[in-house]
Amino acid sequence: MSEFYREDFNALSDDEFRSLAGRFLEAAHPARLRDPDKRLHWSDAKDWYFALSKHGWLAPAWPKQYGGMGLTPAKQLIYLDEFERFGAARNPDHGIILLGPLLIRYGSEEQKAFFLPKILSGEHIWCQGYSEPNAGSDLASLRTKAVLEGDEWVINGQKTWTTLAQDANWIFLLVRTDSSVRKQEGISFLLVPMTSKGVTVRPIRNLDLHDEFSEVFFENVRVPRDHLVGEVNQGWKMARALLGFERIFLGSPRQSNYALVRLRQLAQATGQWNDPVFREKYLQFNRDLEDHKALFEVFAARLRRGEDLGPDVSMLKVHQSEMFQRITDLMMEIAAERGALMETGKKEVNAARLFLNARPATIYGGSSEIQRDILARHFLGSSN
Amino acid sequence: MAEQGWIGLALAEDQGGAGFGIAEYVALCEELGAGLVPEPFISVDMAARLTGSQHRNAIVDGSLIMLPAYEENEEVAAADYYDQTVFQNGKVTGEKKFVYMAGGADAFIVSSKDGLYLVRADAPGVELQTEFTQDGGHFGTLKLQGAPAELLQADSDEAFDVAALGVAAYLLGIIEASLAMTKAYLGMRKQFGVSIGSFQALRHKVVDLSVQAALARASIDNAVLVISGDVPATQKAIAVSRAKIRAADAAMLVTRQSVQMHGAIGFTDEADIGLYLRKAMVMVTQFGSTKFHRWRYADLFGAAQNSTENHT
Repeated sequence: MSEFYREDFNALSDDEFRSLAGRFLEAAHPARLRDPDKRLHWSDAKDWYFALSKHGWLAPAWPKQYGGMGLTPAKQLIYLDEFERFGAARNPDHGIILLGPLLIRYGSEEQKAFFLPKILSGEHIWCQGYSEPNAGSDLASLRTKAVLEGDEWVINGQKTWTTLAQDANWIFLLVRTDSSVRKQEGISFLLVPMTSKGVTVRPIRNLDLHDEFSEVFFENVRVPRDHLVGEVNQGWKMARALLGFERIFLGSPRQSNYALVRLRQLAQATGQWNDPVFREKYLQFNRDLEDHKALFEVFAARLRRGEDLGPDVSMLKVHQSEMFQRITDLMMEIAAERGALMETGKKEVNAARLFLNARPATIYGGSSEIQRDILARHFLGSSN
Repeated sequence: MAEQGWIGLALAEDQGGAGFGIAEYVALCEELGAGLVPEPFISVDMAARLTGSQHRNAIVDGSLIMLPAYEENEEVAAADYYDQTVFQNGKVTGEKKFVYMAGGADAFIVSSKDGLYLVRADAPGVELQTEFTQDGGHFGTLKLQGAPAELLQADSDEAFDVAALGVAAYLLGIIEASLAMTKAYLGMRKQFGVSIGSFQALRHKVVDLSVQAALARASIDNAVLVISGDVPATQKAIAVSRAKIRAADAAMLVTRQSVQMHGAIGFTDEADIGLYLRKAMVMVTQFGSTKFHRWRYADLFGAAQNSTENHT
C-alpha cells in the first residue's frame, strides 16, 4: 500500500493529517494540472484520478469497508482545505461525491459490491442527471419518465446541465415514476449506462466557449429492473438526504481565495498594486474573505460536533459566490482593455475568463435567489 | 450606413456632414448598441471629425475606412496624456494598441506629441497584429517603423469626447435591449407553476436595474446639452466622463444580472443574452476605459474646484 495510506487516518492528530495531505499532494498531484482555470475533462484529469485511486485518497468520506478513507467530518474539512490550498484539480467526481454515499446508504448489497469498486478504479465515470429544461430551481417538477415493462425500466425524456456528460460512461437519474401523487413523491432513482441504445449527448458551449455541460436525451432507453436504487418513488427523499455535508462545499472560500490571488497578480503586473484607491478595494475584499473564512469555521465547528448544518449554511454559498463575482468585477476594471480579449499571454491573468466563469457560481447548486428564499424562511419563518 | 448619411451625421453640411446635432448622433449610437452592430461606426465618425476636407468626403461616403489609433498602453487612453510616438521628416515611428476592428481599416489617424497624422494601412513600415475580443471582434496593435505620414489639422479633445459619449449611448442601447430581453424571459419562464417574473426578488432586481438605466440615460442627455453648449472644454470633459462611467457601470451590472436572471441558460453560448454581456465587456473599454474616465474625472474635478476657489 502507498506510503501515504494509513489504516486509521482518524488516529492522526489534525496537524499530522494536514502534513500528510500536503506531502501526498506534493508527491502525487501532476504539476501541469495545478490551479486549472476551467473544469477538466476526463482525458486531462484521469492521471490525477488514477493517482488518487492508487494511493487510496480518492474517497475521503466513504467508510473504510467500501474502500474510502473513512474520515471524520473534521478530517474531511482538513482534506478539503489542503486540496484547495494546493490548487488541486477537480476530478470528474460525481461518482465519488454524490453517487457513492447514496449507494452506501440506500443501495442493495449487490449494487454496492458491483458499483463501488468500479468508481474507485475509474472504470465507471458517473454524471448526474437531475436538471431538465423546465425543472431547474423547481427540480421536483421533473418529467423524464420511467415505466416498468416486464423486468425493464423504459426511460423517455431529457436532462440538461449535465456536467461532463460526454466523459461519463454511466449516469444516475431522477425520473418520474408516478404522476398521480404530490410531485416530490413520484420520483425514483435510476442507474443507466451512457452506452445504452437511445441515449444521445449534446454538449452545450458555455459563455467561456467551454463544453462543460451537456444535454442528455433518452428515447426508449431500457435498463434492468435492478438498476433502481432504494424503493420506487423514494428518489427525491434519498437525493435530498445526501445534501448534508455537500452543502458546506458550496460555501467554501476556495473560489474567492483563488480570485483574490489572481487579482493581486494582475494589479502587480499592471502597476496598480500601490495605487491607494485600488488598495482600499483590495483590502475590503481581503477583510470579506477573512470574515468569510471565520463564518465557514462556525459551520465547520457544527459538523465537528456532529450537529446538522442547518438551513443557515446557505449564507456561505450566497456570500462566497457573490464575493467571487465582485472580485472578478474589479479584475475586469483594472485589466481595462486587456479584459476585453479572448486570449491573453500565458503568464498573464485572463480577467475575462475568470469573470465569465464566475457567472454560474450564483446559479448552480441552488441559485442565489433560491438560497435567499431558504434563508428568508430560516430568519423570518414561512410567509404563509 | 454611409448611404444613410450616418457617418458625419452631426457634422455641418458645409463640412460634408448631414447637419444634425450631437443629440441625433447619440440617438443613433444607442440604436446601434441595441442592435449589437459590430462595425466601428463611432471610430470612423471620429475620424471624419479629425480629418480635413481632403479626406472627409471619402470617409463620409464610406469609400475610406479610417480609424483613430491613439492608445499606447492600457493605463491611459487619450492622446495628450501620454505619447511616445515620434514624427520626423514626414515619417512616424511608434506603437499603437487596442485599435478596435483595425483589420478592416484603409488608414489610421495616429497621435503623437506634436499632432495627428494620417497613415495608410498598406504603406511601408506599417505592421498590424490582431487579437480577438470577447464580442467576436478584434483589437489591432499597429507597429509603425518610419511609416510615411501626413500631418492633420484637428482638435482631438473634442472629437474624443464626442466618441466617448457615443460609446456611452451605445452602452445605453445594450442596457435597454438586455433589460427588454430579460423582462420578456421573466414573463415566459415558468417554475413552481408560475412565471418567474411574479417573484418579488426578481421584480425588485429589475427595478434596481431600471433605475440605473434611467440614470444612465439622464446622464447622457445631460452630457449632450453640455457638449453642445458654449462652455469650457473641461466642463464638457467632466460631463462626458460622468456619463461614460455611469453607462459603463450600468451596462456591466445590467448584462451580468440579465445572465443571472436567465439562470443556467444565460451561461450558454447559444443564448443571445450572453451577447450583450460580451459586447459590454468590450465597449466599456472604448474611448477611455472606465478606469481612465474615473481618473480623468477626479483630475478635472480637482482642477475645476481649484479654479472656482481662485475666482472667489
